[in-house]
Amino acid sequence: MAETCMKELSHYGPSLCVKFYKNYVVSGYGPFIQIYDYHDNGKLIHKSKMFRKNKIHGLSVSSEGKLLVFGSRSVSVVDLDDDLINNDENVDAIRFEKLNSEWIINGEFSANGKFIYLLTSYNKVLICDLIGNVVSEKVLPGERSILYSGSIKVLSNDKVLINAGTVMGGVLIWDLSTESKIHNLLGHEGSIFHVTVSDNGELVASCSDDRSIRIWDIKLGKELCIGWGHTARIWNLKFFSNGTKLVSVSEDSTCRIWDLRSNNNETFELRLSQVHEAHLIKNVWGVDIQEEENLAVTSGNDGRIKLIDIKDYGDPSNEISFSMDDISEKSVIKFNKEEIIKGFHQFKFGLIAITSLGKIIKFDFETEVWQLISVYDKFVSYSSTNAIVKHNIIIFSNNKCDLLLLKFSSDGHDITVKQELHLDELSKTNNCLVEEFNEESLLVCLESPNPRDKFICLQINNETLTIVEKYSFTKPENFVSSCLEVFQHYILVGSRFATIAIFDKRNVDKSAYIIKRLNHGDTTTNIAYVECNEHQSHLFSVTNRDGYYNFISINFPSDCNGSITYKVIHSNKIMKGFLEGAFFNDKGEYITYGFKSSLFYIYNETHCYEIASQVCGGAHRQWKLFPCDSDEEEETQFTLIYIKASRLHLKRINKLSVPETLESGLHGREIRDVTILKEKSYNDEYIFCTGSEDTTLKLGQFNTVTGKVTNHWTERKHVSGLQRCKFISEKLMISSSAREELLLWEINDEFQSGPYITIRQTLPTSSDNPDLRIMDFDTIFLTNGLDFIVSTVYSDSGVKIWYYDHAKNIFKLLIEGRYSTVCILNTSLEIFRNQVWLFIATTDGQLITYNITDYIPFAVSKEEKSRLVAQSVMNEEIIGLPLPIGTMVVHQSGIKTMNIFQDDNNLKIYTGGDDNAIGIIVFKYDQTKGTIEGNITSFEKNAGSSTITSCVVFNHGKNLLSTSVDQIVRIWTVEDDILRLSEQKYTTCADTGAADIVTDKNDSNKLLIGGVGLSIWES
Amino acid sequence: MGKSSKDKRDLYYRKAKEQGYRARSAFKLLQLNDQFHFLDDTNLKRVVDLCAAPGSWSQVLSKKLFNDTTLEQQNERKIVAVDLQPMSPIDHVVTLQADITHPKTLKRILEIFGNEKADFVCSDGAPDVTGLHDLDEYVQQQLIMSALQLTTCILKEGGTFVAKIFRGRDIDMLYSQLGYLFENVVCAKPKSSRGTSLEAFIVCLGYKPPSNWKPRLDVDFSVEEFFSTCNLNKLQISDKLQDWHEEERKIAPFMSCGDLQSFDSDATY
Ligand SMILES: C[S@@+](CC[C@H](N)C(=O)[O-])C[C@H]1O[C@@H](n2cnc3c(N)ncnc32)[C@H](O)[C@@H]1O
Repeated sequence: MAETCMKELSHYGPSLCVKFYKNYVVSGYGPFIQIYDYHDNGKLIHKSKMFRKNKIHGLSVSSEGKLLVFGSRSVSVVDLDDDLINNDENVDAIRFEKLNSEWIINGEFSANGKFIYLLTSYNKVLICDLIGNVVSEKVLPGERSILYSGSIKVLSNDKVLINAGTVMGGVLIWDLSTESKIHNLLGHEGSIFHVTVSDNGELVASCSDDRSIRIWDIKLGKELCIGWGHTARIWNLKFFSNGTKLVSVSEDSTCRIWDLRSNNNETFELRLSQVHEAHLIKNVWGVDIQEEENLAVTSGNDGRIKLIDIKDYGDPSNEISFSMDDISEKSVIKFNKEEIIKGFHQFKFGLIAITSLGKIIKFDFETEVWQLISVYDKFVSYSSTNAIVKHNIIIFSNNKCDLLLLKFSSDGHDITVKQELHLDELSKTNNCLVEEFNEESLLVCLESPNPRDKFICLQINNETLTIVEKYSFTKPENFVSSCLEVFQHYILVGSRFATIAIFDKRNVDKSAYIIKRLNHGDTTTNIAYVECNEHQSHLFSVTNRDGYYNFISINFPSDCNGSITYKVIHSNKIMKGFLEGAFFNDKGEYITYGFKSSLFYIYNETHCYEIASQVCGGAHRQWKLFPCDSDEEEETQFTLIYIKASRLHLKRINKLSVPETLESGLHGREIRDVTILKEKSYNDEYIFCTGSEDTTLKLGQFNTVTGKVTNHWTERKHVSGLQRCKFISEKLMISSSAREELLLWEINDEFQSGPYITIRQTLPTSSDNPDLRIMDFDTIFLTNGLDFIVSTVYSDSGVKIWYYDHAKNIFKLLIEGRYSTVCILNTSLEIFRNQVWLFIATTDGQLITYNITDYIPFAVSKEEKSRLVAQSVMNEEIIGLPLPIGTMVVHQSGIKTMNIFQDDNNLKIYTGGDDNAIGIIVFKYDQTKGTIEGNITSFEKNAGSSTITSCVVFNHGKNLLSTSVDQIVRIWTVEDDILRLSEQKYTTCADTGAADIVTDKNDSNKLLIGGVGLSIWES
Repeated sequence: MGKSSKDKRDLYYRKAKEQGYRARSAFKLLQLNDQFHFLDDTNLKRVVDLCAAPGSWSQVLSKKLFNDTTLEQQNERKIVAVDLQPMSPIDHVVTLQADITHPKTLKRILEIFGNEKADFVCSDGAPDVTGLHDLDEYVQQQLIMSALQLTTCILKEGGTFVAKIFRGRDIDMLYSQLGYLFENVVCAKPKSSRGTSLEAFIVCLGYKPPSNWKPRLDVDFSVEEFFSTCNLNKLQISDKLQDWHEEERKIAPFMSCGDLQSFDSDATY
């Protein structure tokens, strides 16, 4: 075997344990220890590989700063500061790895720090010194069954409790020194997944398959109380706050905080006090608490390491609220009985509000005093409130076409300018929108309910509050304005029915340009300008109340006569709930906000986590979200002001003083396929996409030097777990999954804010309630590079060939048939010797060849030998699948993967099987018969010790990469159609299932390996 | 949805219902037997079915051992079935609710057999899947090791051992260990087991324990300790944690079972 030259550049995958230590978070990340300084922006300050193959399942730190890590049968003890933190990265920490003969469930240091205790899966404790000599062994006689969980509680040098969770529902507590049973706590059903003891040694907390948490009294051996709340299994528990609180993490993606309350130590209650949606579907494995800072840290299967503020949650000090009486009391303002607040806006100095009786009142943030500013009878009952915070201007409007504009001094003490306006053009106004217009002026748009009335826009000077210009536009049909954005000479107005109207202020007579029905469409809630690319396309982010967000690239004409053109380059739906708006934060992450029933949320869409949420009332809520200046040393990130049960609430949403995440993570479940956009790079990096069992596709980019991955989008269009995803050209990608889902995506990489992706078309299904899986697909393009034919294969042995017409954007079925009754796992379409061949591979190991040349209305292009040209007129008729021209049994069981390579003379198929084998089948053209015949030239029976899951040919057919469930990545040399193993390396990604390769501009190969996690390699 | 999800259940599910089996798993044992004929031996007398609930393998075994047999033959035949879960009774099968990783359980099984040896031991054990692939694989392998522990105490020389495996990261280590105890070890995948799952069965033929080793069950010993006196390479206990070393690994030949007419369990109709 040749010298190994494969090198892992980066790895993303499950993190099973985390711990706070000094200023750091120490995490077990696969086989690595990763240490983050969470006060220094979460910087990764150290990373060391501790174990060769095993993952770190748990860790413990002694009072002397020694670190014990264990996982599977491996253990290691190092000095945290000397061996890791103060050492160079990638020091050889692996030399400390030791092996035990049984799985290690838990490990702890002795009270004096001189020994370690290791609890094994068969309920034995090894007492070892720090270099691995076994000093003694302890067992609980007669109780040597397997454990799923267990912990060691060191109370003193002589008092150590072993807490063992069995598979039959019992929690065995035993004393280490006397090897005697203290209790077998019975009550749970099913396997016990975690047991822990409080620091004073008085309480036990346990959890099991039954999803409950039980608290037990150690002295009495009695169950004190049960906590229910998690909707799936619980994996980890920890007492804190002197045993009065408990934190739990679970398979339901949440981290929960519980209060243990007692009534005179007689009755106990475990009350759920906080729920944090911390991770992606589904497992959260590790948790720790930093009590002084009120922080929790969690780690999950998604590879995310999340910091959670456990104080701020529902902290009353972050919210103030006022009833009308409260305001009255704090000022001399008298309100009528029925009087309520009708509108408000926040400025730096305070809050300005208007009541239903036209009273304008002010709340000063500094003095916390309410004050009446004035009363305007005109604004009784209906009114709307808008503002330009930057210029301290507030704008009130009523439904009788009156406007009141007030400008405040920067301290808010005085009104410096006041302006009252009336519009004669409109009979009534029912909507008023305000936006900054340019440096000097703002824009007020007014609309009446009468469709024949004009849509009026007033350009108003920021200093004098006088009208500079008035524009009257004809209203488009079915138009009800809902949000506003101003760009150059254009006024973009969002409307109901997911529509946007673009007015040109230079030409008021011209009718508005309409972008219709962006999706099924409710009200457009927000339009925001993002950026402009080198082709002068302008990008806007548009949100819709029903949960969709779109990015629209708009080209404005260079002269007034030209026409606007646009393209939706990104469309996606948020997880759930209503979407009220979105923006990019200063890190370039897309932040969305809106409501989930009565809950207001702010969500980081780029990394898929909730930033904050607040219960804030029913359907007719009145609310506004105010972002705070990011450049200031402000603790507050947003203020949410809302009215609930006729109280005015001001809720501060604070910035976490530490980063929200230390690792943002990828998919929560297995990656089933990975595809790289190989044709071109994006900002010197490569765009790639992963499809996962968690039903999402993620679009990101990776750095070819560091392997660092940057997430961009998580697409949620598929409803079932992904089967395949593949870039088919530099602009198009296809993904397929169960329920007969096949989506054609279009990529746009012309903008700096990130690549964008949207669905172009969906393949028609065979019934309304499809339940077949589309196992694989393949394409051949026409010479225009846009149209293609695609073969799709199904779990019921079905085979279809479609034509995709790019201009018409339709899929047309050309050929339909069924091979036999077995599930088809793979397909390939190839042009070889001027003919079009279809290959399919089945679960029973067969490779079947069809010649479809005469069955499709295309011929092989004379100029571009690997492309097709239209030949005959497209028939409406669907042709039946012809008989195969060849069938051969290659594998004993399913052909899991198939990759094709053509050289001058031959077409070669590489197959990887469930039977651990890799085969090479070489097809030759038989001139006389006019057909091809395949021969197995190489069949490597033991190409893996388990299922081969992917084969990728690279280096112009000289090499083959294979992945297999045995977690070995192998590189093979192919010479004279014979395989020879040239290199193999272990990968940390369990359930290794997918791979792709790109050769970068330096001729170096970058390998993406997907499974439970993703690793990036260089070869 | 109700109707469609019912339609989705595969043919083996329907066939099991028709033929009165409690689970579709029955066909896995039947297809393995079609290949290896271990249940067709008329001398087959005593068998152990580990991790047996709900009991379809026991049903197959009961039919094979007790249908069309004389009373005399029946008297010397015996089936013991064990599972964590309770099982409703099956004709001619003694059932036991217990954890097979617990040495006490093995002791109880041995007691039921008295001094008699068994001819066949099978285990279709599947632990709770946690999602931690390495732990899941380990626990699965421990079920096999526990079954193997019992096997070494009870199986006659030349007997057969069949167990469910998941072909994950360390499966080759298991193959290598089994190679010490049996003449022939094959990894077999019946057609009725889904192609999309990693499930397969290890079929170990011709039990041949090392001559210098006497299995000795002690209720205070774990499986690992039990095997430590036998030369199953990694299973050594010492007064030191070992330095890391690569373990012996071996790949067992792969074989697909069930004839060509067998249905494909991945296909949906
Ligand atoms: C796939 S089912 C067996 C099906 C069975 N062969 C049949 O045909 O009906 C797997 C069984 O393994 C059992 N099992 C898992 N761990 C066990 C243990 N430690 N001891 C005994 N049984 C166990 C489970 O309770 C489950 O019933």
